[in-house]
Amino acid sequence: MSPLARRSIYRTSMFVLSVVLVGVLWELYKLIGPEDGGKIFGAAVLPRSNDTAMPHIWSMLSRYGRPEVRGSDRQIWSVVLAGAWYSFRLSVAGFAIGATIGVGLSVLMARFKMVERGLLPYLVVSQTVPLIALAPLIVSWGGKVNILGFTWPKWLSAAVLGAFLAFFPIAVGTLRGLASAPSASLELMSSYAASWKQTLFKLRFPAAIPFMVPAFKLGASGAVVGVVVAEISTGLKGGIGRLIIEYAREATGDPAKVFTAVFGAAALGLAMAGFVAISDVLLMRNRPKETTT
Amino acid sequence: MSAVNVQGASKIFNQGTPKQVDALVDVNLTVEPGEFVSLIGPSGCGKSTLLRLIANLLEPTTGEITVNSKTASQSRLDQDYGMAFQQAGLFDWRTVAKNIELPLELKGWDKAKRAARAKEMLELVKLPEFADMYPWQLSGGMQQRIAIARALAAHPPLLLMDEPFGALDEMTREYMQGELLRICSETKTTVVFVTHSIPEAVYLSNRVVVMSPRPGRITEVINVSLGSNRTEDTRGADEFFKGITAVREALRGTHDDHANAGAVRGVEDR
Repeated sequence: MSPLARRSIYRTSMFVLSVVLVGVLWELYKLIGPEDGGKIFGAAVLPRSNDTAMPHIWSMLSRYGRPEVRGSDRQIWSVVLAGAWYSFRLSVAGFAIGATIGVGLSVLMARFKMVERGLLPYLVVSQTVPLIALAPLIVSWGGKVNILGFTWPKWLSAAVLGAFLAFFPIAVGTLRGLASAPSASLELMSSYAASWKQTLFKLRFPAAIPFMVPAFKLGASGAVVGVVVAEISTGLKGGIGRLIIEYAREATGDPAKVFTAVFGAAALGLAMAGFVAISDVLLMRNRPKETTT
Repeated sequence: MSAVNVQGASKIFNQGTPKQVDALVDVNLTVEPGEFVSLIGPSGCGKSTLLRLIANLLEPTTGEITVNSKTASQSRLDQDYGMAFQQAGLFDWRTVAKNIELPLELKGWDKAKRAARAKEMLELVKLPEFADMYPWQLSGGMQQRIAIARALAAHPPLLLMDEPFGALDEMTREYMQGELLRICSETKTTVVFVTHSIPEAVYLSNRVVVMSPRPGRITEVINVSLGSNRTEDTRGADEFFKGITAVREALRGTHDDHANAGAVRGVEDR
């Protein structure tokens, strides 16, 4: 067995083990935790462990096999799957927009020190703007867009908000990566009279990959969060975010239901991170092993 | 026509500020085609700065530099020289052959021509079986040979080297010195070589340029009369030791303030 295969088997089994462990801890707390929560001087410090607040793992899992609403012939797993697929496509769109903008900005910042000085503080500030506040703005701006017959679809707002969270780590990580090319290598390129563009593609980008991969991982999960939050705050139908908010309203009557959607969102995030991880393995397969992330 | 001609070159960093450094003052140096010239001196004597002025990686504050009878910047644009540094500086993400092809790629050579030249260069440095390996799979000495192959890939008439063997162990270093002499005589390349090591400078060079710091300048140029056919036996020859003694004495004078401190700081005596 190749070391790579052995490592991936090891990693997968560790992942499964950690999931099982979380489930065990959940059930253990349900067993010994106070039904109505622990309070010290009136302040709740321990969460309630009753079936409404913390349904059993098996009731969450078995919920997937039952219909979404009473009398419906659609089982909830297919609804959650369809929602996750819808949000996944939005996240990929958001990630693509965010990656394009992020990499573009980082190249501009690497090229012109002035741009970096002027732009970077704004990028940092942009991430402190709450997404919930931004979502209605984007939707209303989008509604006004009408260029050459192109009208702004509502889903694009969600994708843009995903991009908004995705571009920042990508821009910052790529910028660091582009700056990581050793000065001796830069000197070498300049001794070959290489143009800035040649240096960018033959030296700076390849040297940036070990920095870009973790940045893209952060960006991918950022895109998912952005899309899910945007679905909730703009009321976009069809995605996993919308399912979470809908099912959460039924939490008292059907507490396991919301968890089916939450797990769907988690699986979505994992799928996104997984794609970046695969690209990592492909891009780094010929690099010295100590620089792989 | 001289390969390198430096006339009255000075390089002053941070001019007019309290941090002003006179890295080089009024340097004159001529290197003839086919010659092997070493620059030696203690740290801060400006030997690397002089090499970078010739390479046009730095602009002189004053003075004129021509390489192959062209301005230094024109000869850089024409890739009239190859360069090798202390760190081999190979790109981890390229195979050995692709590393050698890098300067040719930048020049816009087509693929077949590049591959043929890379093969030729790998044979020159005697590592043809490593073409498809990655640099980090090779030892330090092999990496440095690949770096030399890369520097010579475009067949430049001039090779500029900045302590290329400084990071190698002594055995590898002596082997590399022999290889470099063989490669340069096979390719008829002119070399300007920066080093810290006196024996290395003497063994390799036709002329050793001794430099001194504060301000950086050339204090003496020593001719080495070891002939053109140098072998491992040359390291035991009287002329070799005479050359070492001459360079060492020239270096003694470079440290006005530490003249009685024994060995010259920053220069290896081995």
